Amino acid sequence: MKIFVDRQLCENHGQCAIAAPQVFRMNSEGILEYEENVNDSLLPDVEDAMDACPVQAIFIQDQS
Amino acid sequence: MTTPTAEAPYLDISDPTFAMQSEALRNAREQSWYARTNYGIAVLRYEEVSKLLKDPRLKQGSAQWPEHHGVHSGLFYDWWTKNLLVLEGEDHHRIRRLLNPAFSPRLLKSLVPKFQALANELVDEFIDKGECEFVSDFAEPYATRVLTIMLGIPEAEWPTIARLASTIGLALGVTLKQDLHKVEAALDELYEYAEALIADRQASPGDDFVSRLVLANRDGDSLSDAELRNALVLLIFGGMDTTRNQLGLAMQSFMRNPEQWELLAERPELGSKAVEEVMRINPTVTWVTREAIEDFTYEGLEVSKETTVHLFTQSAGTDPRAFPEPEMNLLGEHAPHYGFGGGVHHCLGHFVARSDMSEALPLLARRLRNPRINGADEWMPDSGNTGPIRLPISFIKGE
Repeated sequence: MKIFVDRQLCENHGQCAIAAPQVFRMNSEGILEYEENVNDSLLPDVEDAMDACPVQAIFIQDQS
Repeated sequence: MTTPTAEAPYLDISDPTFAMQSEALRNAREQSWYARTNYGIAVLRYEEVSKLLKDPRLKQGSAQWPEHHGVHSGLFYDWWTKNLLVLEGEDHHRIRRLLNPAFSPRLLKSLVPKFQALANELVDEFIDKGECEFVSDFAEPYATRVLTIMLGIPEAEWPTIARLASTIGLALGVTLKQDLHKVEAALDELYEYAEALIADRQASPGDDFVSRLVLANRDGDSLSDAELRNALVLLIFGGMDTTRNQLGLAMQSFMRNPEQWELLAERPELGSKAVEEVMRINPTVTWVTREAIEDFTYEGLEVSKETTVHLFTQSAGTDPRAFPEPEMNLLGEHAPHYGFGGGVHHCLGHFVARSDMSEALPLLARRLRNPRINGADEWMPDSGNTGPIRLPISFIKGE
Protein backbone atom coordinates (compact mmCIF):
# COMPACT_ATOMS: atom_id res chain seq x y z
CA MET A 1 0.00 0.00 0.00
CA LYS A 2 1.01 3.61 -0.49
CA ILE A 3 1.02 6.06 2.41
CA PHE A 4 0.44 9.78 2.07
CA VAL A 5 0.87 12.38 4.83
CA ASP A 6 -0.65 15.79 4.15
CA ARG A 7 2.23 18.07 5.14
CA GLN A 8 -0.10 21.08 5.21
CA LEU A 9 -1.92 19.43 8.11
CA CYS A 10 0.99 17.59 9.76
CA GLU A 11 2.11 19.24 13.01
CA ASN A 12 4.93 16.77 13.77
CA HIS A 13 3.37 15.64 17.05
CA GLY A 14 4.91 12.19 16.44
CA GLN A 15 1.96 10.04 17.49
CA CYS A 16 2.27 8.02 14.25
CA ALA A 17 5.89 7.19 15.12
CA ILE A 18 4.66 5.70 18.41
CA ALA A 19 1.83 3.75 16.75
CA ALA A 20 3.75 2.40 13.74
CA PRO A 21 7.50 2.84 14.22
CA GLN A 22 8.29 0.62 11.20
CA VAL A 23 6.67 3.20 8.93
CA PHE A 24 6.94 6.60 10.65
CA ARG A 25 9.81 8.19 12.60
CA MET A 26 10.78 11.62 13.86
CA ASN A 27 14.27 12.80 12.84
CA SER A 28 16.67 14.57 15.18
CA GLU A 29 15.06 17.89 14.22
CA GLY A 30 11.67 16.54 15.31
CA ILE A 31 10.37 16.39 11.73
CA LEU A 32 8.39 13.40 10.43
CA GLU A 33 10.00 11.00 7.97
CA TYR A 34 8.04 8.02 6.62
CA GLU A 35 8.03 5.13 4.18
CA GLU A 36 5.73 5.79 1.24
CA ASN A 37 5.48 2.18 0.09
CA VAL A 38 4.59 -0.20 2.86
CA ASN A 39 3.90 -3.92 3.01
CA ASP A 40 0.18 -4.68 3.43
CA SER A 41 0.97 -6.79 6.50
CA LEU A 42 1.54 -3.51 8.39
CA LEU A 43 -2.02 -2.31 7.73
CA PRO A 44 -3.23 -2.67 11.36
CA ASP A 45 -0.34 -0.56 12.66
CA VAL A 46 -0.82 2.04 9.91
CA GLU A 47 -4.51 2.24 10.78
CA ASP A 48 -3.59 2.79 14.43
CA ALA A 49 -1.29 5.61 13.30
CA MET A 50 -4.05 7.16 11.17
CA ASP A 51 -6.46 7.02 14.12
CA ALA A 52 -3.93 8.37 16.60
CA CYS A 53 -2.88 11.34 14.46
CA PRO A 54 -4.23 14.39 16.33
CA VAL A 55 -4.74 16.31 13.09
CA GLN A 56 -5.81 13.29 10.98
CA ALA A 57 -3.16 13.95 8.33
CA ILE A 58 -2.38 10.33 7.33
CA PHE A 59 -4.00 8.63 4.36
CA ILE A 60 -3.66 5.35 2.47
CA GLN A 61 -3.73 6.01 -1.23
CA ASP A 62 -5.99 3.73 -3.21
CA GLN A 63 -3.89 2.05 -5.88
CA SER A 64 -6.70 0.29 -7.68
CA MET B 1 21.04 26.99 35.65
CA THR B 2 19.58 28.53 32.56
CA THR B 3 21.11 31.91 31.83
CA PRO B 4 18.33 34.10 30.48
CA THR B 5 19.41 37.67 29.84
CA ALA B 6 18.46 40.18 32.50
CA GLU B 7 16.58 42.20 29.86
CA ALA B 8 14.01 39.44 29.37
CA PRO B 9 10.70 40.30 31.07
CA TYR B 10 9.89 38.71 34.42
CA LEU B 11 6.54 37.16 35.41
CA ASP B 12 5.60 35.95 38.89
CA ILE B 13 3.47 32.97 37.89
CA SER B 14 2.86 31.86 41.50
CA ASP B 15 1.13 35.14 42.36
CA PRO B 16 -2.60 34.29 42.74
CA THR B 17 -3.46 37.50 40.86
CA PHE B 18 -1.22 36.60 37.90
CA ALA B 19 -3.37 37.01 34.78
CA MET B 20 -2.74 35.36 31.42
CA GLN B 21 -5.00 37.78 29.54
CA SER B 22 -3.30 40.94 30.79
CA GLU B 23 -1.48 43.98 29.49
CA ALA B 24 1.64 42.83 31.36
CA LEU B 25 1.73 39.54 29.51
CA ARG B 26 1.00 41.12 26.13
CA ASN B 27 3.80 43.62 26.74
CA ALA B 28 6.16 40.82 27.71
CA ARG B 29 5.24 38.93 24.51
CA GLU B 30 6.05 42.04 22.43
CA GLN B 31 9.36 42.46 24.20
CA SER B 32 10.62 38.87 23.99
CA TRP B 33 9.64 35.33 22.95
CA TYR B 34 10.20 34.16 26.52
CA ALA B 35 9.96 35.52 30.05
CA ARG B 36 11.86 34.67 33.20
CA THR B 37 9.62 33.41 36.00
CA ASN B 38 10.04 32.43 39.64
CA TYR B 39 9.94 28.79 38.45
CA GLY B 40 11.66 28.22 35.09
CA ILE B 41 11.05 30.11 31.86
CA ALA B 42 7.75 30.91 30.14
CA VAL B 43 7.46 30.73 26.34
CA LEU B 44 5.03 33.36 25.08
CA ARG B 45 4.93 33.32 21.27
CA TYR B 46 3.22 30.89 18.89
CA GLU B 47 6.16 29.74 16.79
CA GLU B 48 8.40 29.03 19.78
CA VAL B 49 5.60 27.27 21.70
CA SER B 50 4.87 25.13 18.63
CA LYS B 51 8.53 24.11 18.23
CA LEU B 52 9.43 23.57 21.89
CA LEU B 53 6.26 21.58 22.58
CA LYS B 54 7.59 18.86 20.27
CA ASP B 55 11.31 19.34 20.84
CA PRO B 56 12.98 15.99 21.67
CA ARG B 57 15.34 17.78 24.09
CA LEU B 58 12.39 18.43 26.42
CA LYS B 59 10.32 15.90 28.37
CA GLN B 60 6.99 16.26 30.15
CA GLY B 61 7.65 18.38 33.22
CA SER B 62 5.41 16.96 35.97
CA ALA B 63 7.12 13.68 36.92
CA GLN B 64 8.71 15.27 39.99
CA TRP B 65 5.50 17.03 41.07
CA PRO B 66 4.81 14.92 44.20
CA GLU B 67 8.45 15.03 45.28
CA HIS B 68 8.64 18.80 44.79
CA HIS B 69 5.76 18.99 47.27
CA GLY B 70 7.20 16.68 49.90
CA VAL B 71 5.41 13.47 48.84
CA HIS B 72 7.86 10.59 48.33
CA SER B 73 5.72 7.45 48.63
CA GLY B 74 2.19 6.15 49.07
CA LEU B 75 -0.88 5.50 46.95
CA PHE B 76 -0.87 8.85 45.13
CA TYR B 77 2.89 8.77 44.54
CA ASP B 78 2.66 5.26 43.08
CA TRP B 79 -0.19 6.19 40.74
CA TRP B 80 1.35 9.48 39.61
CA THR B 81 4.77 8.06 38.82
CA LYS B 82 3.26 5.25 36.73
CA ASN B 83 0.66 7.26 34.81
CA LEU B 84 0.94 7.92 31.10
CA LEU B 85 1.24 11.67 31.63
CA VAL B 86 4.72 11.39 33.14
CA LEU B 87 6.08 8.19 31.54
CA GLU B 88 8.74 8.67 28.87
CA GLY B 89 10.31 6.70 26.05
CA GLU B 90 9.30 3.10 25.38
CA ASP B 91 7.47 2.84 28.76
CA HIS B 92 5.20 5.64 27.56
CA HIS B 93 4.92 4.46 23.95
CA ARG B 94 3.92 0.91 24.91
CA ILE B 95 0.99 2.09 27.06
CA ARG B 96 -0.03 4.71 24.53
CA ARG B 97 -0.09 2.12 21.71
CA LEU B 98 -2.41 -0.06 23.77
CA LEU B 99 -4.70 2.80 24.85
CA ASN B 100 -4.93 4.78 21.61
CA PRO B 101 -7.24 2.51 19.57
CA ALA B 102 -10.08 2.81 22.15
CA PHE B 103 -9.98 6.60 21.64
CA SER B 104 -10.30 6.36 17.86
CA PRO B 105 -12.51 9.09 16.38
CA ARG B 106 -14.33 6.44 14.29
CA LEU B 107 -15.40 4.53 17.39
CA LEU B 108 -16.51 7.67 19.22
CA LYS B 109 -19.04 8.61 16.52
CA SER B 110 -21.59 6.18 17.95
CA LEU B 111 -21.68 8.23 21.18
CA VAL B 112 -22.75 11.50 19.51
CA PRO B 113 -26.54 10.91 19.83
CA LYS B 114 -26.02 10.19 23.53
CA PHE B 115 -24.09 13.44 23.98
CA GLN B 116 -26.93 15.36 22.29
CA ALA B 117 -29.61 13.68 24.41
CA LEU B 118 -27.65 14.41 27.57
CA ALA B 119 -27.19 18.10 26.69
CA ASN B 120 -30.90 18.47 25.95
CA GLU B 121 -31.90 16.72 29.16
CA LEU B 122 -29.74 19.07 31.25
CA VAL B 123 -31.03 22.20 29.49
CA ASP B 124 -34.65 21.02 29.86
CA GLU B 125 -34.18 21.14 33.64
CA PHE B 126 -33.61 24.89 33.81
CA ILE B 127 -34.64 26.48 30.51
CA ASP B 128 -38.07 27.66 31.70
CA LYS B 129 -36.47 29.64 34.53
CA GLY B 130 -34.51 31.78 32.06
CA GLU B 131 -31.42 31.48 34.26
CA CYS B 132 -28.98 28.88 35.58
CA GLU B 133 -25.69 28.47 37.36
CA PHE B 134 -23.83 27.29 34.31
CA VAL B 135 -21.13 25.25 36.09
CA SER B 136 -23.31 23.15 38.42
CA ASP B 137 -26.39 23.06 36.14
CA PHE B 138 -24.61 22.21 32.91
CA ALA B 139 -20.81 22.10 32.64
CA GLU B 140 -20.10 19.74 35.55
CA PRO B 141 -22.94 17.22 35.04
CA TYR B 142 -22.32 17.22 31.28
CA ALA B 143 -18.57 16.63 31.58
CA THR B 144 -19.01 13.93 34.22
CA ARG B 145 -21.93 12.11 32.62
CA VAL B 146 -20.04 11.96 29.31
CA LEU B 147 -17.42 9.97 31.24
CA THR B 148 -20.03 7.67 32.80
CA ILE B 149 -21.46 7.06 29.31
CA MET B 150 -18.00 6.19 27.98
CA LEU B 151 -17.14 3.98 30.93
CA GLY B 152 -20.54 2.34 31.19
CA ILE B 153 -21.08 3.46 34.80
CA PRO B 154 -24.75 4.13 35.70
CA GLU B 155 -25.32 7.82 34.95
CA ALA B 156 -27.05 8.32 38.31
CA GLU B 157 -23.67 7.82 39.98
CA TRP B 158 -22.19 10.92 38.34
CA PRO B 159 -22.10 13.05 41.53
CA THR B 160 -19.81 10.48 43.17
CA ILE B 161 -17.51 10.45 40.15
CA ALA B 162 -17.49 14.28 40.06
CA ARG B 163 -16.63 14.45 43.76
CA LEU B 164 -13.82 11.89 43.45
CA ALA B 165 -12.36 13.55 40.34
CA SER B 166 -12.42 16.99 41.98
CA THR B 167 -10.80 15.65 45.15
CA ILE B 168 -8.01 13.98 43.19
CA GLY B 169 -7.67 17.28 41.34
CA LEU B 170 -6.46 18.79 44.64
CA ALA B 171 -3.24 16.89 43.95
CA LEU B 172 -2.40 19.50 41.29
CA GLY B 173 -2.46 22.31 43.88
CA VAL B 174 0.56 23.56 45.77
CA THR B 175 -1.16 22.35 48.98
CA LEU B 176 -0.76 18.70 47.86
CA LYS B 177 0.91 17.59 51.06
CA GLN B 178 -1.84 18.84 53.39
CA ASP B 179 -4.57 17.50 51.06
CA LEU B 180 -2.82 14.17 50.61
CA HIS B 181 -5.07 12.11 52.88
CA LYS B 182 -8.18 13.34 51.03
CA VAL B 183 -6.55 12.72 47.65
CA GLU B 184 -5.56 9.18 48.63
CA ALA B 185 -8.99 8.35 50.06
CA ALA B 186 -10.58 9.48 46.77
CA LEU B 187 -8.02 7.56 44.75
CA ASP B 188 -8.72 4.43 46.76
CA GLU B 189 -12.47 4.78 46.12
CA LEU B 190 -11.90 5.39 42.41
CA TYR B 191 -9.68 2.30 42.24
CA GLU B 192 -12.61 0.23 43.50
CA TYR B 193 -14.83 1.61 40.73
CA ALA B 194 -12.17 0.95 38.13
CA GLU B 195 -11.39 -2.56 39.35
CA ALA B 196 -15.08 -3.52 39.36
CA LEU B 197 -15.47 -2.23 35.79
CA ILE B 198 -12.41 -4.12 34.59
CA ALA B 199 -13.50 -7.38 36.25
CA ASP B 200 -16.97 -7.02 34.76
CA ARG B 201 -15.70 -6.50 31.18
CA GLN B 202 -13.10 -9.24 31.51
CA ALA B 203 -15.92 -11.63 32.43
CA SER B 204 -18.26 -10.46 29.66
CA PRO B 205 -16.60 -8.19 27.09
CA GLY B 206 -18.80 -6.15 24.76
CA ASP B 207 -17.97 -3.53 22.14
CA ASP B 208 -17.87 -0.66 24.64
CA PHE B 209 -14.91 1.53 25.53
CA VAL B 210 -13.71 -0.35 28.64
CA SER B 211 -13.99 -3.70 26.83
CA ARG B 212 -11.79 -2.32 24.06
CA LEU B 213 -9.14 -1.44 26.63
CA VAL B 214 -9.46 -4.83 28.32
CA LEU B 215 -9.10 -6.60 24.96
CA ALA B 216 -6.39 -4.29 23.60
CA ASN B 217 -3.50 -6.38 22.39
CA ARG B 218 -0.48 -5.54 20.38
CA ASP B 219 1.94 -8.23 19.21
CA GLY B 220 0.88 -10.41 22.13
CA ASP B 221 1.28 -7.62 24.67
CA SER B 222 -1.70 -6.31 26.64
CA LEU B 223 -2.39 -4.04 29.60
CA SER B 224 -2.09 -5.55 33.06
CA ASP B 225 -4.94 -5.08 35.54
CA ALA B 226 -2.95 -2.38 37.34
CA GLU B 227 -2.23 -0.59 34.04
CA LEU B 228 -5.91 -0.74 33.08
CA ARG B 229 -6.90 0.65 36.47
CA ASN B 230 -4.33 3.45 36.28
CA ALA B 231 -5.56 4.36 32.80
CA LEU B 232 -9.23 4.53 33.83
CA VAL B 233 -8.34 6.74 36.79
CA LEU B 234 -6.27 8.98 34.48
CA LEU B 235 -9.24 9.24 32.11
CA ILE B 236 -11.54 10.37 34.95
CA PHE B 237 -8.87 12.63 36.46
CA GLY B 238 -7.94 14.19 33.13
CA GLY B 239 -11.33 14.20 31.45
CA MET B 240 -13.76 15.70 33.96
CA ASP B 241 -12.32 18.96 35.33
CA THR B 242 -10.83 19.96 31.99
CA THR B 243 -14.07 19.57 30.03
CA ARG B 244 -16.13 21.25 32.77
CA ASN B 245 -13.71 24.19 32.88
CA GLN B 246 -13.49 24.48 29.11
CA LEU B 247 -17.29 24.63 28.74
CA GLY B 248 -17.41 27.42 31.35
CA LEU B 249 -14.66 29.30 29.53
CA ALA B 250 -16.55 28.81 26.26
CA MET B 251 -19.64 30.44 27.78
CA GLN B 252 -17.49 33.34 28.99
CA SER B 253 -15.93 33.84 25.55
CA PHE B 254 -19.27 33.72 23.76
CA MET B 255 -20.86 36.18 26.22
CA ARG B 256 -18.06 38.55 25.25
CA ASN B 257 -18.73 37.86 21.56
CA PRO B 258 -22.55 37.69 21.30
CA GLU B 259 -22.59 37.90 17.49
CA GLN B 260 -20.52 34.68 17.39
CA TRP B 261 -23.09 32.95 19.66
CA GLU B 262 -25.86 34.02 17.24
CA LEU B 263 -23.84 32.71 14.34
CA LEU B 264 -23.35 29.36 16.09
CA ALA B 265 -27.09 29.12 16.83
CA GLU B 266 -27.87 29.65 13.13
CA ARG B 267 -25.10 27.37 11.88
CA PRO B 268 -24.66 24.34 14.19
CA GLU B 269 -22.15 22.82 11.76
CA LEU B 270 -19.71 25.40 13.17
CA GLY B 271 -19.68 23.47 16.48
CA SER B 272 -16.21 22.00 15.99
CA LYS B 273 -14.88 25.39 14.85
CA ALA B 274 -16.37 26.88 18.04
CA VAL B 275 -14.40 24.40 20.17
CA GLU B 276 -11.14 25.22 18.34
CA GLU B 277 -11.68 28.97 18.63
CA VAL B 278 -12.54 28.87 22.32
CA MET B 279 -9.54 26.68 23.07
CA ARG B 280 -7.29 29.00 21.09
CA ILE B 281 -8.27 32.23 22.84
CA ASN B 282 -9.47 30.93 26.23
CA PRO B 283 -7.99 27.49 27.04
CA THR B 284 -8.42 25.86 30.46
CA VAL B 285 -4.88 24.49 30.24
CA THR B 286 -3.14 27.85 30.28
CA TRP B 287 0.31 26.36 30.19
CA VAL B 288 1.96 23.06 29.36
CA THR B 289 5.09 22.19 31.32
CA ARG B 290 8.28 20.63 29.96
CA GLU B 291 11.73 19.97 31.41
CA ALA B 292 15.07 20.04 29.59
CA ILE B 293 16.76 16.62 29.47
CA GLU B 294 20.08 18.11 28.32
CA ASP B 295 21.84 21.47 27.97
CA PHE B 296 20.97 23.21 24.70
CA THR B 297 20.75 26.63 23.09
CA TYR B 298 17.50 27.81 21.57
CA GLU B 299 17.18 31.17 19.79
CA GLY B 300 20.25 32.42 21.64
CA LEU B 301 18.98 31.31 25.04
CA GLU B 302 21.08 28.79 26.92
CA VAL B 303 18.73 26.27 28.47
CA SER B 304 20.44 23.98 30.96
CA LYS B 305 19.41 20.44 31.87
CA GLU B 306 16.46 20.24 34.32
CA THR B 307 15.21 23.75 33.50
CA THR B 308 11.40 23.94 33.67
CA VAL B 309 9.87 25.38 30.49
CA HIS B 310 6.25 26.59 30.63
CA LEU B 311 4.61 26.81 27.21
CA PHE B 312 1.84 29.43 27.44
CA THR B 313 -1.06 28.23 25.29
CA GLN B 314 -3.37 31.26 25.48
CA SER B 315 -0.51 33.67 24.83
CA ALA B 316 0.56 31.59 21.81
CA GLY B 317 -3.02 31.33 20.53
CA THR B 318 -3.46 35.09 20.48
CA ASP B 319 0.06 35.99 19.32
CA PRO B 320 -0.39 38.62 16.59
CA ARG B 321 2.61 37.17 14.71
CA ALA B 322 0.61 34.00 14.01
CA PHE B 323 -2.89 35.50 14.23
CA PRO B 324 -3.03 38.99 12.65
CA GLU B 325 -6.72 39.09 13.66
CA PRO B 326 -6.63 37.19 16.95
CA GLU B 327 -10.28 37.81 17.91
CA MET B 328 -12.69 34.87 18.06
CA ASN B 329 -14.02 34.20 14.58
CA LEU B 330 -15.85 30.96 13.75
CA LEU B 331 -15.50 31.74 10.05
CA GLY B 332 -11.77 32.52 10.23
CA GLU B 333 -8.97 30.26 9.03
CA HIS B 334 -6.62 29.99 11.99
CA ALA B 335 -3.49 27.97 12.72
CA PRO B 336 -3.95 25.09 15.20
CA HIS B 337 -3.98 25.90 18.93
CA TYR B 338 -2.05 23.99 21.61
CA GLY B 339 -4.82 23.73 24.19
CA PHE B 340 -4.42 19.94 24.04
CA GLY B 341 -0.66 20.20 24.42
CA GLY B 342 1.36 18.52 21.70
CA GLY B 343 4.11 16.10 20.75
CA VAL B 344 4.26 12.60 22.23
CA HIS B 345 2.23 13.76 25.26
CA HIS B 346 -0.57 15.26 23.14
CA CYS B 347 -3.86 14.84 25.04
CA LEU B 348 -5.06 11.25 24.63
CA GLY B 349 -8.74 12.13 25.10
CA HIS B 350 -8.91 15.09 22.72
CA PHE B 351 -11.28 13.42 20.26
CA VAL B 352 -13.73 12.79 23.13
CA ALA B 353 -13.47 16.38 24.37
CA ARG B 354 -13.76 17.78 20.84
CA SER B 355 -16.72 15.57 20.09
CA ASP B 356 -18.74 16.24 23.27
CA MET B 357 -18.09 20.01 23.30
CA SER B 358 -18.82 20.41 19.57
CA GLU B 359 -22.25 18.84 20.20
CA ALA B 360 -22.97 20.85 23.36
CA LEU B 361 -22.03 24.35 22.17
CA PRO B 362 -24.38 24.74 19.15
CA LEU B 363 -27.20 23.16 21.12
CA LEU B 364 -26.66 25.66 23.94
CA ALA B 365 -26.45 28.53 21.44
CA ARG B 366 -29.79 27.57 19.93
CA ARG B 367 -31.57 27.10 23.26
CA LEU B 368 -29.99 29.81 25.46
CA ARG B 369 -30.29 33.05 23.50
CA ASN B 370 -28.45 36.21 24.48
CA PRO B 371 -26.76 34.82 27.63
CA ARG B 372 -25.50 37.38 30.19
CA ILE B 373 -23.80 37.26 33.58
CA ASN B 374 -26.48 37.16 36.26
CA GLY B 375 -24.92 37.63 39.71
CA ALA B 376 -21.52 37.01 41.22
CA ASP B 377 -19.19 34.81 39.19
CA GLU B 378 -16.20 33.15 40.84
CA TRP B 379 -13.03 31.92 39.15
CA MET B 380 -10.03 29.70 39.75
CA PRO B 381 -6.60 31.36 39.48
CA ASP B 382 -5.08 31.65 36.00
CA SER B 383 -2.14 29.37 36.70
CA GLY B 384 -2.31 25.76 35.49
CA ASN B 385 -5.88 24.70 34.72
CA THR B 386 -8.37 27.54 35.05
CA GLY B 387 -12.12 28.05 34.70
CA PRO B 388 -15.20 29.27 36.53
CA ILE B 389 -16.19 27.93 39.94
CA ARG B 390 -19.57 29.69 39.65
CA LEU B 391 -20.99 31.27 36.52
CA PRO B 392 -24.60 32.42 37.04
CA ILE B 393 -26.20 33.43 33.75
CA SER B 394 -29.58 34.55 32.50
CA PHE B 395 -30.80 34.08 28.94
CA ILE B 396 -33.80 34.31 26.67
CA LYS B 397 -35.39 30.93 26.16
CA GLY B 398 -34.81 29.62 22.64
CA GLU B 399 -36.20 26.30 21.44
